Amino acid sequence: MAAMAIRTERLTKRYGDVIALDQLNLEVAPGEVVGYLGPNGAGKTTTIRLLLGLISPTEGRGEIFGLDCQRQPVEAHRRLAFVAGEANLWPSLTGAETLRLLGRVQGHVDEAYRDELVTRFDLDPAKKVRAYSKGNRQKVILIAALMTRADLLVLDEPTSGLDPLMEQAFRGSVREARDRGQTVFLSSHILSEVEALCDRVGILRQGKLVELGTLAEMRHLAALTVEATFAGAIPDLSAVPGVSSVQADGRVVRCQVRGPVAPLLKVLAGADVTELLSREPSLEELFLAQYGGGA
Amino acid sequence: MITWLTARRAVRSGVIFGYIFGVSIASSAISYSRFYKTAAQRDALAAAYGSDKATSALFGPAPQLQTVAGFTVFKISMTLILVGAVWGLLTSTRLLRGEEDDGRWELLLAGQTTRRGAVVQALGGLGAGVVTLWALTGLITALTGLDSSVGIAAWPALYFALAMAATAVMFLAVGALTSQLAGTRRQAAAYAAWVLGVSYAVRLVADAGLGLHGLIWASPLGWVEELRPLTAPAPLALLPIAALTAVLLAAAVHLAGTRDVGAGIVPDRASRRPHLRLLGGPIGLAVQLVRPAVTSWWVAIAVSGLLFGLIARSAGGTISGSSVQVLSRLGSRGNGTDAVLGVCFIILAVLVAFTAAGQITAARSEESAGRLDQLLTRPVSRSRWLGGRLLVTVVVLLASGVLAGVFAWAGAASQHAGVSLPALAEAGVNLVPPATTIAGAGVLALGVWPRGTSIVLYALLAWSLLVVVIGGVGASHWVLDTSVFHQMASAPAVPPRWEANGVMAAIGVAGALIGGIAFKRRDLQGK
Repeated sequence: MAAMAIRTERLTKRYGDVIALDQLNLEVAPGEVVGYLGPNGAGKTTTIRLLLGLISPTEGRGEIFGLDCQRQPVEAHRRLAFVAGEANLWPSLTGAETLRLLGRVQGHVDEAYRDELVTRFDLDPAKKVRAYSKGNRQKVILIAALMTRADLLVLDEPTSGLDPLMEQAFRGSVREARDRGQTVFLSSHILSEVEALCDRVGILRQGKLVELGTLAEMRHLAALTVEATFAGAIPDLSAVPGVSSVQADGRVVRCQVRGPVAPLLKVLAGADVTELLSREPSLEELFLAQYGGGA
Repeated sequence: MITWLTARRAVRSGVIFGYIFGVSIASSAISYSRFYKTAAQRDALAAAYGSDKATSALFGPAPQLQTVAGFTVFKISMTLILVGAVWGLLTSTRLLRGEEDDGRWELLLAGQTTRRGAVVQALGGLGAGVVTLWALTGLITALTGLDSSVGIAAWPALYFALAMAATAVMFLAVGALTSQLAGTRRQAAAYAAWVLGVSYAVRLVADAGLGLHGLIWASPLGWVEELRPLTAPAPLALLPIAALTAVLLAAAVHLAGTRDVGAGIVPDRASRRPHLRLLGGPIGLAVQLVRPAVTSWWVAIAVSGLLFGLIARSAGGTISGSSVQVLSRLGSRGNGTDAVLGVCFIILAVLVAFTAAGQITAARSEESAGRLDQLLTRPVSRSRWLGGRLLVTVVVLLASGVLAGVFAWAGAASQHAGVSLPALAEAGVNLVPPATTIAGAGVLALGVWPRGTSIVLYALLAWSLLVVVIGGVGASHWVLDTSVFHQMASAPAVPPRWEANGVMAAIGVAGALIGGIAFKRRDLQGK
C-alpha cells in the first residue's frame, strides 16, 4: 500500500504551559484535497510548521509520504511545495529572479506551466519584490509552489491578499492539481474556498482536531435547518425529539433538527403547513456550530 | 505618541552608550594617573606622541600629554567621536527609516499625524536619547574628575561630554536626512556611513602633518576636534556643528513632506532585467545578498589601508627611541614605518571584524524576517544553508585581509617606504583570525540564543575594541587577553603569531560547530 501523503501520530507542540497542538492524529491519502479549518491561534500554522520540520514536536511524530518530517526533511521536501500565508521574500530580487531561485532550489520545474501561471495570475516578473503589493508577493510564492507540480501542496492561508479574480485563478489551479493526482492540504479561513475545493475537512479547536470528515458526513452529523409556514395553529415544536433552536417569526417557524426527522414530520403532518423548506447546513454553519456561534 | 515611542528606545540606547562613554573616559584618566606618576614619565610620553604624525592622523593631535586631561582627550576622544557618530547614524536610521520599513508608521500616519509632524516628533525622541548620552557621559566624567589625581572640574567635564556627543548629534541629523533619501533602512545607514567615512578620511589627511591642516574645517569630525575640550576650549567651533545639524534636520523634515510613505527621494528602480547567473542555490543567493554590504566594507578597508600606507613613512620617520617604547605598549615594535603600520593594522582588524559581524547578523535576519522558510521548506538542509553562508563569510574575510594588506602596501610603496608586498599581505591575512573568532561567537549565539545574535556580536566587538584602546596604558593581562584584537600580533611591526592565530581560528570554528548543531536542532524563530 502506498504511503500516506501526510500522517501524524499524537503530534503535539507545547510552548511552556501553552498547548499549541494537542495529540493530532491525521491521515491524508495521496490524491486527496483536505481542508484544514480553525480560528486564529487554533494550531493550523503550528501543524504545518511541524510537518515541514521548521519546528520540532514536543511529542509524537509526522510523516510525509512515509518520510519522517524531522529526520528526513530534505527528502520529504523533494515531494512537496509550500505556500505560506505571508510571502516573506528577498526585497532586492525581482519576481523572475525569485522564481528562478526557488525553482532551482526545488530541483524540478515545469517551465511551460510556470509561464502559463505567470500569465494566469497576471504577474509582472520584471518588478522587484520591494515594489510588489502584498497580493503580488503572494502570487510569486503561489506560482513558485504550483510550477513544481509537487506530489503534495501544503497551502497555509494561500490566498491572503488576492483579489476575487485571482482567487478564482487559484481555485482553478488547485482543481488542475487535483485532476493530475496531486495531494492538497489547504489551511484556510475562507470557508467558501474550502467548501468549493476540498474532499474532506478537518476542524481544529484550541490545538485539538474536533472534526474530520467529508462535508456530507459532517452535514449528516450536524443539524438540518427546517423552515415551516403555518396557515392555522402553530404546534409546539420544542418538545419534539431532536429539534432545537426553535424561532417563531409570525406564521413562520425555523428550527434545527439533529438525527432522524421522522418525529418532526409526524408533528407537522398534523398541523396546517402551507410551505416547508429544509436545507443542509453550509460549511460556515458547521464551523460556527463548532465555535458556539449557532447553526 | 511618536515622540514617546522613539524617546523610550533612544533613551535606553543613550543610557547604555553614555555609560560606555563615561566608563571609557574614567578608566583612561585613572589608568594614566596611576601609570604615569612622575613628570619624567609624562615628558617621555609627550615627546613620543606629541609630535607623532601617525598617531595624530589616527587619533587626532596630542597637546598637553603631561596632564591627565590632555592624555584622556588624546587617548579616548577619537574612538568616542567615531563610536558616537556610528551610534547617531544607526539610531536615527533605525528609529526613522527602520520603523517605516516595518510598516509601523503607516498605522500612526493613518491618524491625524502628518508625515512632517511624525518626523519632527521622532526627532524630539531622538534628541532625548542624545541628551541622555551627553548627561551620563558628563556625570561620570565629572565624578571621575573629583579624584585628586585626575582633577577635572565639573564644567570642563560637561564640555568634554558635549564634544563627545557632538558627533552623535550631527550624525543623527545625517541619518535623519538619509532616511528621507533612501528607500530602505540599510541603504539609509549606508549613505550616512559613507558621509562618516569621507569625514574621517579628510580629517586624517588634515592631521597627518602633510601641511594640509586647513582641511580640518572641511570635516565635521574636524570641527569636534577643534572644540579642544579639556586642553584649550574653543566653543566657537560649536557654530558649524549647530549650523550643519540645523540644516540637515530642516532638510529632513522638509523632504519628509514631499515623498510617499515607504519610499525614498532617491528613486529605486522598480523593474530591471533579471540577473540569473548567481541564483542557482543558497550559496549563490548568499553572494548576491551580501554583495552590496561587502562592497562597502571592502571600499572602506581598501581606502583606509591606502591612507595608512601613504602616511606610514612620514609618520614613522618622526619616531624616536622612546616613542618606539610607547608604541610597543600598543603591541607595535620594529622600525618606524612598520611600527606605525602595526598600529594602523589594528584599525583594519576592527573593520574586518565588523565585516564578519555583518555577515552573521545578515544570516540571522534571513531567519528572523521569515525568508529562510522559503529555502528550508524546499530540499535544502539547515546545515547546507548555514555552511554556505559561512563559506561565503570565510572567503569575504580572507579577501578583506588580503585587500587591506595590498592597499596598505600600495600606499606605502608610493612613498618609497621600503615595505614588501608579501610582508603586508601576510599582515593582512593576520587580520582574519580575530574576525573568525567574532564570527564563531556569532554563530554560537545564532544557534543557542538567536534573538541575541547581534547583541553578542557587537558587545564582543565593542569590548575587544575598548580593551585594546584602554589597555595600551596598562591593564591586567587577564583583561587584555579577553580582547581578540590584543591576541592578534601587530604585524607588520612584529611577525604574526600563527599559534595564537590558530587558537583564535579554532575558537571560531568550535563556536560555529556548536552553534551549527544547536541551529540544526532548534525551532526556527522570528523576531
